Amino acid sequence: MIPEAFPEIAWSALAPELVLVFGAVALLLLDVQRKPGVKVLWGTSLVILAIALALGVWQWIAATPDAEPIFGGMLIFDRSAALARLVVLGVSLQAMVAARSLFAHLGNRAAEGLALVLLAAAGFILMAASQNLVMMFLGLEMGSIALYILAGIAGDGVRSDEAALKYLLLGAVASAVFIYGAALVFAGTGSLDLLRVAGFFARNLVLSPAVLLVGIGLLTAGLSFKVAAAPFHVWAPDVYQGAPAGIVGYMAAVAKVGGFAALARVLLSGFESFRPDWAPIVAGIAALSMVVGALMAIISSDIRRLLAYSGVAHAGFILTGLASGAQGSSSVWFYLAVYTVQLVAAFSVVSALGGAVSSGSDLSDYRGLYRRSPFLALVLSVSLLGMAGLPLTTGFVAKLGVFLWAWRGDLEWLVVVAVVASAMAIYLYLRVIVIMYMQSPADDDPVLCDRPTSWALGAATAVTVVLGVFPQPLLKLVESAVYL
Amino acid sequence: MLTLLVLTPLLGAVVVSLVPARRRELHLPLGMALSVAPLGLAGAMFFSFDAGEASFQMVEKVVWWEPWGVSWQLGVDGISLGMVALTAILFPLSLAVSDSISHRRKAFVVAMLFLETGLIGTFLALDLLLFFVFFEVILVPMYLIIGVWGGKRRVYAAVKFFIYTAFGSALLLAAIIALAVMHASQTPDGLLSFDYLALLTLDISPTAQMWLFGAFALAFAIKVPLFPFHTWLPDAHVEAPTAGSVLLAGVLLKLGTYGLLRFNLTLFPEATVSLVPVLAVLAVVGIIYGAVVAIVQPDLKKLVAYSSVSHLGFVVLGIFALTSAGLQGAVIQNVNHGLTTGALFLLVGMLYDRRHTKQISDFGGLATPAPLMAGFFLFMAFASIGLPGLNGFVGEFLVLVGSFPSLPGLTVVAAFGVVLAAIYMLWAYQRVFTGPLEGAENRKLADLSAKETAVLAPLAALVLLLGLYPGILLERTAPSVEAILDRIEQHTDYEAPEPGRLADVFNTASEDES
Repeated sequence: MIPEAFPEIAWSALAPELVLVFGAVALLLLDVQRKPGVKVLWGTSLVILAIALALGVWQWIAATPDAEPIFGGMLIFDRSAALARLVVLGVSLQAMVAARSLFAHLGNRAAEGLALVLLAAAGFILMAASQNLVMMFLGLEMGSIALYILAGIAGDGVRSDEAALKYLLLGAVASAVFIYGAALVFAGTGSLDLLRVAGFFARNLVLSPAVLLVGIGLLTAGLSFKVAAAPFHVWAPDVYQGAPAGIVGYMAAVAKVGGFAALARVLLSGFESFRPDWAPIVAGIAALSMVVGALMAIISSDIRRLLAYSGVAHAGFILTGLASGAQGSSSVWFYLAVYTVQLVAAFSVVSALGGAVSSGSDLSDYRGLYRRSPFLALVLSVSLLGMAGLPLTTGFVAKLGVFLWAWRGDLEWLVVVAVVASAMAIYLYLRVIVIMYMQSPADDDPVLCDRPTSWALGAATAVTVVLGVFPQPLLKLVESAVYL
Repeated sequence: MLTLLVLTPLLGAVVVSLVPARRRELHLPLGMALSVAPLGLAGAMFFSFDAGEASFQMVEKVVWWEPWGVSWQLGVDGISLGMVALTAILFPLSLAVSDSISHRRKAFVVAMLFLETGLIGTFLALDLLLFFVFFEVILVPMYLIIGVWGGKRRVYAAVKFFIYTAFGSALLLAAIIALAVMHASQTPDGLLSFDYLALLTLDISPTAQMWLFGAFALAFAIKVPLFPFHTWLPDAHVEAPTAGSVLLAGVLLKLGTYGLLRFNLTLFPEATVSLVPVLAVLAVVGIIYGAVVAIVQPDLKKLVAYSSVSHLGFVVLGIFALTSAGLQGAVIQNVNHGLTTGALFLLVGMLYDRRHTKQISDFGGLATPAPLMAGFFLFMAFASIGLPGLNGFVGEFLVLVGSFPSLPGLTVVAAFGVVLAAIYMLWAYQRVFTGPLEGAENRKLADLSAKETAVLAPLAALVLLLGLYPGILLERTAPSVEAILDRIEQHTDYEAPEPGRLADVFNTASEDES
């Protein structure tokens, strides 16, 4: 369906992303023209995100399961893409509300930082909504390049530079791997459009799928890098440790949402018929991620490295849901939605405690946090317990969903690995809680966090607990976002 | 009413947490007063319970997480009845002896009330996922109680406790998921369900039963704790504050035996019958091992802790005897052990508060300055040994009578456990309360205060009541126990040996007691 004339474009479907992109430009212009204070810029970015989120909600209501592709088949805003958008915008807002002190530290680079945040969000949303592998690559790069810069934006420290450079170099390799995979898919099917790829398999019998299998493998590897799944995770601890504390949570969360949405679309929409071929690979990556992530996190002495490795383990849990097939994608969405909230909240605490532009946060700094700030200790505990998957938190519901679908998808062995890995993971989260509640602080200085940060943290904690007890609304929501 | 029973302690926790932290004198009395509410409700439940009914009573069901078929479903039968009542009794008493908790008292009371909700919920849950949620959530307050308010090695003990039980419950979760998915594949509408009653209708292949039984049994065996999974127990007990030890021994360990009885026997009858030898041997090893290790303990609290391993071995033996008397004995011994060991831990705690030591060698001749304390200790020690007329006798006798027809050899070995119990208990009593009275601190040791007496007296009264009139509990448990045996006999070619069923043995047994 090559358009003969300029295609008719449903601009309204793109409204949230347009708001983000034009908002980013407006922020930069505002900065050049008026030189407003950081508070104004930060406030403006929050308004932009809020408007985008409101439009996203409107789009969610408007979106239908049988949404039509737009832009000549480049993008499709079906339920899953609309949901990915909500998650990206939601956690971006959560992270930005808590990040005022970061941008205050950045001074005259604040506008650039805020613009990059908005662009990264737009990029990952587009990535999640891409039906065409080239469009997916563009979204990936739009988001990733913004994140590379954000990783080094504080620019005052070897660690931050190292993090940015490492992220850039390894990220570029991953992008190259991805685009090579896309090329092989094109070679094998003659199309980059995932729906047409799927249609190709429906009409044709592929006798020697070697090229396609390599292509799928490369696409999976490239995206696994973005979501930090083992063995493609080695960059994550260094980047999380070196990047400014105020932005790490955001970086990790949006990259994971974009990456998993893309992976789900590639595997479940384009190559569903190859599931017998890719499911064992994805399950293997999942098992490896869960075990390696949990083990490495246990021996980490820096909370950021700990959270990075635990993120590897979480990538494994999410991949477990993905490996179980299209039905299981609802559990992937639930997991992503709740995990990113916990992740951003945890990093907001790290930022409040260690300083927004700091690099590295040794676990010993958390000794007796209970006495220095009961609120932050509580928030971090709830987030960690959520990640541990303790009942009455969203993390439990998320894990249960993944396990249920994986068991239904005949991946019993993977569920057993997963439950054992989650039991191991409990220990590592518990270790932090022990440090916070059962050890004496080095000094008794109270830790203060600004008011917006406490709102964001309070909201995240409430979401983790309330949706953990009554997950029904979110469960219904994600059920409609299944690839069918 | 059951929902109310589960939620009143939680409500109490909320109320206590609203009291400002600086009004420290208010927290404990308020917590105690609030824990009397569930006790009242549990009493009402106990006496409105229809003793002739085998199935679940007072069932309440509300759909909770609809897409996955999870429901808030509570119900009580003869198996859970006694445990709920015991839990409700032990909480106000444990809070009453927690004066020695000096720091973060408010958090302590909140954790305790939270724990009570979890425990009662676990015993009443009829939805497997709800059960799991309660089962797992209990770990947090218990972990805090050990880890924050415990002894010197509290953090080590708390982490060990948490890790052991978390590993056990991980596989339990996998098994529960397997059952729910099995339900989806065996019903025409293909819906997941965690409803215990619905899962009972599943047709599970023998191989699958073995695996699932294993996963359930491992989780519960760690909780009991069954030899060789018991190593977390002495650490946790010794480091926990008195209230923590009382609840750990009195109620938490019973989650394991309750789980075996409630889920393993009914959901996987075939696996149960074929795995009886394994579990029964482990139980007997636990009886003897726990008792022998208890004898040589220099630490009084550790002695009581190891005696739990031995006593709970009896409970597990009774369960896997698969006879009416054995199961009845297991159910009532669950309650008995909670009363007597709970009281013994209270007494050890009272000694510790006075002398700040638990080493048996530091004591001696205490019966002279503290006759009342010595009296209670001896009474509870006798109950624990199984002196006729006290509750321990009823339980252990029923277990032995019940298991002899099916497992004669093991029963003979297990009977030595009673003898060993007499050795470690009486020897401990002798070394602590009799003999020469040495040291100024021992000489001027204060006897029980009025409050301490008031805490111990109800337990002593219940010990006597259940010893003289066990029927008050047994008649309520009998139909449920029979139903379990009926189910096993229907689903397997197992037949309870003669005299194995209620009609054969129960009447004679109760005549013997009186």
